[in-house]
Amino acid sequence: MKNIITIVVRLTVSCLLAATVMGLCFIFTSNAKKHNEHVKEQQVMYELLGYQAGAKFPETMALHEVYRFVITGGGKQSIGYLVPKGHGGEKGFLFVNIDLNGAMLAQQNVALSEADALAPETRNQAVTKVVGPGYEVKFADQTIVVTNSGHRVAYLLSGKFQGFKTFVNVMLAVDPAFAILGLEVLEHEEDPGLGAEIDQDYFKNQFKGKPFEALKTIEVVKAPIPADYLEALNGKIGEEGILKFREQYKDKAVYALTGATISTKAVAGGVQGIVTKFAYRIAVLDKVVKEQQLAVAF
Amino acid sequence: MANDKSSMQLITRGILSENPIFKLALSMCPAVGISTTVMNGFMLGIAVLFVQVFSSVTISVFKNLIHPRIRIPTYTLTIATWVTVIDLVLAAYLPEAYAKMGIFVKLIVAFAIITMRLEMFACKEPVKDSFWDGLGMGLGFMIGMMVIGFVRELLGSGAILGMDVLGFKPLLFFILPSAGFFVVGLMMAFFNWIEIFYKRSKGLK
Repeated sequence: MKNIITIVVRLTVSCLLAATVMGLCFIFTSNAKKHNEHVKEQQVMYELLGYQAGAKFPETMALHEVYRFVITGGGKQSIGYLVPKGHGGEKGFLFVNIDLNGAMLAQQNVALSEADALAPETRNQAVTKVVGPGYEVKFADQTIVVTNSGHRVAYLLSGKFQGFKTFVNVMLAVDPAFAILGLEVLEHEEDPGLGAEIDQDYFKNQFKGKPFEALKTIEVVKAPIPADYLEALNGKIGEEGILKFREQYKDKAVYALTGATISTKAVAGGVQGIVTKFAYRIAVLDKVVKEQQLAVAF
Repeated sequence: MANDKSSMQLITRGILSENPIFKLALSMCPAVGISTTVMNGFMLGIAVLFVQVFSSVTISVFKNLIHPRIRIPTYTLTIATWVTVIDLVLAAYLPEAYAKMGIFVKLIVAFAIITMRLEMFACKEPVKDSFWDGLGMGLGFMIGMMVIGFVRELLGSGAILGMDVLGFKPLLFFILPSAGFFVVGLMMAFFNWIEIFYKRSKGLK
């Protein structure tokens, strides 16, 4: 009996010690880790917009974060948008509440710094305060509107959809006509060698340049990628050649990955869903902004 | 076990006469699964080296406090703690390296070689010797992994450190896991042969 007690006590003590060491280490490193993730995300965004690592991002370009919320209360649902009024959150944000028919319910200024808007807790608090009691606020997603000297040049959309195994987390860049500028797979757990190929350039590049019309009816074809097209997708030929192939294949179906048709279909369907839904939403938001003459950053 | 344990002897023992892969035949799963290229072998080797040294020293420091009935859980706990710490530190301060090494680091918890060194050496010997033993074993593992990786990368994909040196792929079979066993087996035979040869030349029989 005495033995058991000693064993239990010692095991507990060692577990507590181990937990303390790990906990302390986590506290000391979590900020640096978050910072790294943020830097990586920024880099992904720049790369999607066509600025590879090292290339300078023009100063006339600006990124504006738009946050979307689903607001439930009083048996009704509406969509709330938190839009910046100026670059970098200098002038605060504007909260626009739009009902499901596309009519504006309310608008209100929200004094929120950019850093506070980026952090989920402070952002949700601010929005909950604005909509008032009795309403439930649920953060839906965030979009980035990219402008160059005031003109919109692209949208950066992030989204999540069901892959073959678990969720696939992607970021998309689309131009103002919703043609795809780039696709990046941020996170996935597909099978290595099969579905995991979705993060390879030759697969992602198939989506590049697909116009909105083609995307609406995108299909997956089970066939090997023609050798010359594959070279173009892997970036092994010159810029001109790549553009020519992109033009030639822009309305065609996506070639399925060998042994991973389901993953391919999931990505194609997911991308289609993200872009078509966004196209509808931004049209509604733009209409409201225009009708009500709201002062927003983009 | 030799009585005179100088630091140098402990290190060379880990690399040569008691090499974890070729002599002790421990941790064969990673040796076979991951050593497809020199770089992979090196990455895993470095990670194992750190975990081995830290765990050996920790266990050696606390050896008198560990109850003999629960020593294995304690070892596992120690290894898991160090693996977590290294994982977090790498992710925070060396994101580039972490992107390549991340999956290997998490695998180390289950490595037989580390537990075995703690059980055989660190829980009996002084801290200083445990440190050198851990270093030697870690280096031995790293070198073993790199040698296997070298052979497999050269024969399997005709390259070394990702650079194409042969211009063709001699035997694609060598990058597959099953070939790992062949390489390890042949290497074992090779090192044993060298050892026998060496001992004979010294007249040690």
